Amino acid sequence: MSTWIAIAGVALSTFLLRASFMLFVDPHRFPHWFRQALKFVPPSVLAAIVAPGLLMAGGALDLSPSNLRLAAGLVAMAATFHLRNTFAAVATGMATLWALQWALGRLG
Amino acid sequence: MQDASPRSEFLAGCREMLPVLLGTIPFGFVAGVAAIGAGMSAAQGIALSVFSFSGIAQLIASQLVAVHSPVIVTIAGAFVVSLRFLMYSAAVAPHLAHLDWRWRAGLAFLMTDQSFASTARRYSEPGPAGHRHWHFLGSALTLYVSWQAAVVAGVAAGAQVPAGWSLDFAVVLTFIALLVPAVRTRADLAAAIVAAAIALAAAGLPYRLALVVASIGGIGVGLAIEAWRRR
Repeated sequence: MSTWIAIAGVALSTFLLRASFMLFVDPHRFPHWFRQALKFVPPSVLAAIVAPGLLMAGGALDLSPSNLRLAAGLVAMAATFHLRNTFAAVATGMATLWALQWALGRLG
Repeated sequence: MQDASPRSEFLAGCREMLPVLLGTIPFGFVAGVAAIGAGMSAAQGIALSVFSFSGIAQLIASQLVAVHSPVIVTIAGAFVVSLRFLMYSAAVAPHLAHLDWRWRAGLAFLMTDQSFASTARRYSEPGPAGHRHWHFLGSALTLYVSWQAAVVAGVAAGAQVPAGWSLDFAVVLTFIALLVPAVRTRADLAAAIVAAAIALAAAGLPYRLALVVASIGGIGVGLAIEAWRRR
């Protein structure tokens, strides 16, 4: 039962956050600084999600060359930068990770 | 310029999401597997997805349910990682102010990182924008339907997926695909680097608070650079 309550709470909170300014607050009343701050939301939030995924996959900070996810992530960033699409990021990133895992498995 | 029709906007929104699905479908699958791994029933895992429709919120909620967190902690964890929706909502709201509340409620319910990014880009283009909410709906609905199918597949597969496939890495890659085009100026780059550094340094904070602290830090640095350059 408590899991169902948690699910309802999670659903309600994600909806209320999404609907906040779209449904409940007059968008013409945003202060200037707030609109300036919005510009920096995507680079900040996304970098804060990506960085631990590349550098802390094992739970601790790993900057060594044996961190295959870091290598694969950098390849995916370069591919996205040049090709400008999501397909490039996922395809090159997964291919690099699998290739490195396979190669190290053969060596090891 | 002729105003694009609702139909062509809708279809363009759908089409724009097709390459994105390569990332979100494995992500949805992973989210489904995680719900079952956390001890939820199939109905619970699917309900979590159908009603909250947020990969990160679903993963966090599953992690917190798995360690038997109190209900309020699970809800707070999902709330914290979803704070970015507040900012997305504020960014698109001015473009949608002319729509009635049902349209706005529907689009709010369906909005995700990917459809927000696509919608923000569409609204930034020149020309008449009166029908661009159809573009938003097309991208958001495409993601919703494909996401739920992927989650159901993940729920059905349960814990049988080999860890060696590293499917969870597809989640990180979808966010890289959003991050790279979001960094357009030096101030954006500084915000991203500072946010990444804080996210790593603060990773020990409970309930995924690091994400919020890091985001606020990055936004603050971006604003500071902007203010300094304007003097």
